[in-house]
Amino acid sequence: MNSRNRLLWIVTLALVAISLPFWSSDQYQVHLAALICCYWVLIAGLNLVVGYSGQLSIGHVGLLSIGAYAFAILSGKWGLPAFASVALAGALCGLCGLLLGLPSLRLPGFYFAMATMAFALIVGEFALAQGSLTGGGVGLPVPAFPAPFDTPVGFYYLTVIGAALASVLTWNVARQMYGRGLIAIRDNPVTAQAVGVPVFRAKLTTFVFSGIAAGVGGALFGSLQSYITPDTFHFELSLFFFVCIIIGGRGSIVGPFLGVAVLTALPELVAPLAKLGNFFYGLLLLLVVLVVPEGIGRVFELIAQRLRPRSGVSVPVAPDLPRLAKAIASIQALK
Amino acid sequence: MLMVIVSGLAIGALFAATALSYNVMYSTSKVLSVTTGHIAMLGGVFGAYAISALGQPWWLGLIAAILVGGLFGWLTDLIAIRRVLARSDEHLWLLSTLAMATMVQQAVGLWWGTEPKPFPRLIPQDFSAGIGDQKFWLPIALAGLMAIGLEFFYRRTMYGKLFLAMSEDAFAARARGVSTDRIRVASYVIAGALGGLAGFAAGQLTFAYFALGLTLTLNGFIALAVGGLGSNLGALIGGLTLGLLNTFASYLFGGEYQQTIAVGLLMVVLLVKPEGLLGAQQVRPV
Repeated sequence: MNSRNRLLWIVTLALVAISLPFWSSDQYQVHLAALICCYWVLIAGLNLVVGYSGQLSIGHVGLLSIGAYAFAILSGKWGLPAFASVALAGALCGLCGLLLGLPSLRLPGFYFAMATMAFALIVGEFALAQGSLTGGGVGLPVPAFPAPFDTPVGFYYLTVIGAALASVLTWNVARQMYGRGLIAIRDNPVTAQAVGVPVFRAKLTTFVFSGIAAGVGGALFGSLQSYITPDTFHFELSLFFFVCIIIGGRGSIVGPFLGVAVLTALPELVAPLAKLGNFFYGLLLLLVVLVVPEGIGRVFELIAQRLRPRSGVSVPVAPDLPRLAKAIASIQALK
Repeated sequence: MLMVIVSGLAIGALFAATALSYNVMYSTSKVLSVTTGHIAMLGGVFGAYAISALGQPWWLGLIAAILVGGLFGWLTDLIAIRRVLARSDEHLWLLSTLAMATMVQQAVGLWWGTEPKPFPRLIPQDFSAGIGDQKFWLPIALAGLMAIGLEFFYRRTMYGKLFLAMSEDAFAARARGVSTDRIRVASYVIAGALGGLAGFAAGQLTFAYFALGLTLTLNGFIALAVGGLGSNLGALIGGLTLGLLNTFASYLFGGEYQQTIAVGLLMVVLLVKPEGLLGAQQVRPV
């Protein structure tokens, strides 16, 4: 994709995002779009971990939950300003990401996945057990943001800003040497280390960044839900984030975005799918892994390759007969 | 106090049985399947379904649990493992088994309901039996039998020796004329049957509950990692340790921090001895 094309895409997407509240038919669609943006803030960060550096973290719902609870407690219970609370929630989740990443990022694939999954379960346990802080199983109301962002449409714009920021940050990482280094870690850690990529530090930095993104996303998500309980952050949500990235395709930013947009909207628009819920996500994941492990984006690429006219000019190969005859004649003359 | 120890041993035996089931699959395919805990869940649910809902005698329930477990093991290999192993990307099997696990858990949740349902008594016994209760002794006895049976199978039978050969070096086994694909399928069916059996035996302890699978996958894996990947004795030791630790933690601090303590154990062992108590030192390819 050349840069003019890309600019066109970005402008179109921005126009759609900004104009959505004006042409959408009801409030629910705006709510759905805001939800997609909240998810995307987290997934953009997670994409660097899963899609680029290839660490299969299936426990990011734990970080999302910490972010949401931190925002609710800081802003609601202790009365801190909303945006300071968001920043603090992000910082806290970054710290949690650091503490989780320090031991677990040294582990091989399956061990790491299990460690992150255990982290998600532990956070759920703590949210239930620390009733005085988190309200236990009853839950906790989450305050709204101040004045321009306190209506549904206003809040939607806030989430759009957050999503755009997250996209820009991850894109900046991905397109530069650092992102290439992450891809090298994903494809072959030994080689990456041999050519001078600081493997562990790069993985840890990305993981902490994804933690911060998850914290900010969690704060927005909590405020959108307006009431959170430990059940809001069930483990299947984590799986959902993960599936969005895998389906969208690893090592791309547009793919996971389309993944989260389609997978969030689809069950709402097609009623039978909502009933199947996570079964449907599991099935999709299985199909993608078995048929196109590179992600759905690969299918479009393949179709585009089929449709595009062959660019190379075919060069017919014909023997140069007179020259050949001459050569043979000269050999026979030698004899 | 005795009650705490016995119930800890019982739940630990279930973890150990899950870890053994991991081991059987790992030995032939070098895959740690996320579906391992779900196999045991299926055993429990289908056993309860056959006995309570269909009103069959207990031995038919047992057969149903084993058959369903074996069938699911076979399906896991057919759908999630076979094609994926042909490619060389090591992460793919994690994704495909995760997808299988999610699907089966949701399917059971939709069909069976999301509430834990009681598992019927297998042997007529009074509920006031205390530590002599069958719900404690069935899983403990079964885990012991499974470990001894597997050891016998590996050491004394030709098929077991093929398993060992494959776990040592699959290429060399293939070169010596072992049909590695068939052995792998057999290992998945055996692991499925054992897992189903374990879930059936521990049914009265865990209830027939659709979300049990994920917990068991995690705890069985912790037991395996603590004991050492590939070692059956290690799986037993790891499982029993984890179970005892879990119940003692609940007894002393209340039941809220079970996962935290389990993962704490895993982290300590991985920091001190990364290959587990009885595991073989792993060599990293460079």
